[in-house]
Amino acid sequence: MTTAAEALPTRARVGVMSRAWRFVARHALTVYALLAVAYLLLPIVIVILFSFNHPTGRFNYVWNRFTFDNWLNWNSVLGIQGAVQTSLEIAALATLVATALGTLIALALVRHRFFGWGLTSLIIFLPMATPEIVMGSSLLTLFLNDQNTIQLGFWTIFIAHVMFTISFVVVTVKARLIGFDRHLEEAAMDLGANEWKTFQKVTLPLIAPAMLAAGLLGFALSIDDFVITYLNAGPVQTFPIFVWGIARVAVPPQVNVVASAIFLVAIALGLGNVIWQYRSARRTRNQAVE
Amino acid sequence: MGEFLHRHKGLTPYLLLAPGMLWLTIFFLVPMGFLGYQSLESGLFPHFHFSWEFSNFSSALSGYHTQLIRSFVYAGIATVACLVLAYPLVYWIAFRAGPWRNLFLLIIVAPFFVTYLVRTLAWLNILADEGPVVRILRDIHVLAPDGRLLATTFAVIAGITYNFFPFMALPLYVSLEQIDARLLEAAKDLYSSPTQAFLRVTLPLSAPGIVAGTLLTFIPAAGDFINAALLGTPNQAMIGNVIQAKFLESLDYPTAASLSFILMGTILIALLVYARVVGPEKLTG
Amino acid sequence: MNERMTRDQLLRRGAVGVTFLSVPGLLAACGGGGGSKSAGSSKVNKVLEFANWPYYMDTPATLKAAGIHKPTTPKEFEKQTGIKVNYYEEVNSNPEYFAKVQGRLSKGEGIGRDIIVSTDNDRFLGDYISNKWAQKLDKSLIPNIKNLIPAQQHPPFDPHRDYSLPWASGMDGIGWNDKVTDPVTSVKQLFEDPKLKGRVGVWNSMGDTLGLVMLENGDDPAKVTNASFNRAIARVQKAVNSGQIRKFYGNDYAAVLAKGDLAATMAWSGDIANLADPHVHWLVPTQGGIIWTDNMIIPLGGSVPTASTYMNFMYEPMISAQWAVGANYISSVKNVKQDAVKLDPKAASNNLTFPTDKTLSQMHQNDPAMLRNPDYNKKWLAVQGQ
Repeated sequence: MTTAAEALPTRARVGVMSRAWRFVARHALTVYALLAVAYLLLPIVIVILFSFNHPTGRFNYVWNRFTFDNWLNWNSVLGIQGAVQTSLEIAALATLVATALGTLIALALVRHRFFGWGLTSLIIFLPMATPEIVMGSSLLTLFLNDQNTIQLGFWTIFIAHVMFTISFVVVTVKARLIGFDRHLEEAAMDLGANEWKTFQKVTLPLIAPAMLAAGLLGFALSIDDFVITYLNAGPVQTFPIFVWGIARVAVPPQVNVVASAIFLVAIALGLGNVIWQYRSARRTRNQAVE
Repeated sequence: MGEFLHRHKGLTPYLLLAPGMLWLTIFFLVPMGFLGYQSLESGLFPHFHFSWEFSNFSSALSGYHTQLIRSFVYAGIATVACLVLAYPLVYWIAFRAGPWRNLFLLIIVAPFFVTYLVRTLAWLNILADEGPVVRILRDIHVLAPDGRLLATTFAVIAGITYNFFPFMALPLYVSLEQIDARLLEAAKDLYSSPTQAFLRVTLPLSAPGIVAGTLLTFIPAAGDFINAALLGTPNQAMIGNVIQAKFLESLDYPTAASLSFILMGTILIALLVYARVVGPEKLTG
Repeated sequence: MNERMTRDQLLRRGAVGVTFLSVPGLLAACGGGGGSKSAGSSKVNKVLEFANWPYYMDTPATLKAAGIHKPTTPKEFEKQTGIKVNYYEEVNSNPEYFAKVQGRLSKGEGIGRDIIVSTDNDRFLGDYISNKWAQKLDKSLIPNIKNLIPAQQHPPFDPHRDYSLPWASGMDGIGWNDKVTDPVTSVKQLFEDPKLKGRVGVWNSMGDTLGLVMLENGDDPAKVTNASFNRAIARVQKAVNSGQIRKFYGNDYAAVLAKGDLAATMAWSGDIANLADPHVHWLVPTQGGIIWTDNMIIPLGGSVPTASTYMNFMYEPMISAQWAVGANYISSVKNVKQDAVKLDPKAASNNLTFPTDKTLSQMHQNDPAMLRNPDYNKKWLAVQGQ
């Protein structure tokens, strides 16, 4: 008995087979993508879930019962509030400074050809190729050696964070600058604006999105940094350092709360951006239709 | 000021560079110099003295080459795993997700927003020896009855793969997203099968992304120590663990410093080899 | 105003106590701080910054379990003196903590703590004192120092108790989780039972781990020779290579044991009781255990008067008794067992916290020379992969 497929002439059979294969392949890919997403989000779900747990003892890895207490009393654990505050302050400050410095460097690298261009590019690249443990410990030797003693703390962490963020800012802004249309600036200058005004009114607004992206990246890197910070923090605690210390004994649910909060704020910002882009794309489409 | 800049146009780049490069010089290059100085010291804490002790390097290498090689193996496997796992996902987002692509991109990056340590601790929770995941795996005989997932090489590599996934996924996405869909249509018009279209058009065009992704993943992974510390045993110790222990526990700064340079040097050599194989233009783009 | 009265009374009592101290003690009391570059403040603060090991303090849960209906000792201290105790359970292991603070201490800087705790079976306690990183106690504020048991009055690292006072003594033994394994009674079983492979923990502290191993080997940990040291190291190395040992832990083994990722581990006596987990147990190994004492010291930059006031409080007999019952560790105060029985009758039979002479006879101490030997230290780091 021949099947319907076998009854078809050869070329049509190949057509059916390849269509069937393409169907499977197309949906296999989607299934895979969804599984991959689930894998990526699994620990996050666990973290958020256990932030609502009321553990029986010191240890928070067995689900006991639901409670809002941890979220309401998130700062009841000694040291956590100070750590979160320090993390946010350093991230904000370091991001501002690094974005400013990095943007200037990007402008120089893209717009000018000068003696030392290659060397500069290399020096910008090196921090990204250096393992954090090496960067952190070498910075420590700068602060603590026989010749001088700088007190380890907020400002040493700040210095370290600016240092490793600059390179990422440069790379991000550079990418945007390379595709930049210089004609707009030339037009502005033809219309009488000097260089500074042109920079202020034309260049800056146009690279602002890249600077924002670089700033966000820098902020994320700073908030999450552990290795370099650990080595140069002295007595000061950032949130990752706090977690490392308390994980030796028992991680309280309040740590989950803070981690979840940072995550949710970031996601909210990201979602906001997604929706805004979607809306403006739709608006452009609607306008085009009219 | 505009006048001044006009007349000294050549100065502009240097002025732009100055603040940032000064920062990097003082807080990156100079410390590296100090580290170099330290790597040639000898003695016991806290009485070190400079003595051109090049033997630090040879004894560090002979003492810890196991951990060094292991780091590169783990980082290599993790990088390949990231590539294999990320590519289909990113391909799907770039070509099939349509209007949802930004949302899914956000989801890929999302784990990054939860503190590194908290993420890894969550895995400790999920893969616990007496937890549900391990118990199920034992019941279906994937694991031996006394088998475990934590404190194994698998756990360390899995941890590295998970934690560096976005570093691979994002560059891949950037290059895949730039591929003009019309090229694929053209391939179809020229009678190529989907597989051929992928191999002949998509894959080569995504090469810059692959290169960037592998670099951004491999380099930090080679120096990582947190995954090995939390998820492994002393038999999985990576070179990062040794350097950290030497700096923070045994206070053996000369050995730690020389190990740091050995690590950096090996990474740079690997980079050069990679560049030669892949083609130098791909790296700088 | 009540608190101020109490403090004044304390100081007056302290002044009277001065006349009973020897001349060096008198000079120390008058001098205040001990020649540190950055002297702490010379008045009593409102807050005490106290860094300690985990599982070392009486808690509401443990006091309740013992049937003691009183506030915890830190709360009681705050009530009596108005000084709040900021308690940081941040000491995970002696070498780790030393490495963390040595940078600042070596430059004469403070570390933001008034009291830190370090163990006598590690070289670091002696190092803090010999490096002049510990400030002298204000004994005029510690009249209760007379309650210190004779055995602890002249330790080798601080012969006149100028810089330190015992916080707790404890014993090295084996802890196990009955959800995962049957009782593990010897180091031999710990290292060689195949059922425990990869689920065994040891300490990153040389004295503790090698002490127990030496006892298992039949050697005396109080008199270490090259041969006995090498035998012990070899045994540990074998267990590492075979994958038997999961990790070299500080105090963080306790959480992992409670979780069940560790089946059995070398453990400190009171930790297990403090976990208050019915599935986790502790015993002295068949070949014997090690006994040690954790000591309080005042690091540079710490407030000597505030710290001394606290130390005096902890040497009050009934306070120390309550602490011992609640923290499950051994106190160094005279006649503490009799006082504890008044709080909790079960204390009479609590051999862990109030060990009988028989138990103490099973305990050994580490050889201080072994701890300071640089060659031994190097070999110990090597076996940990460092």
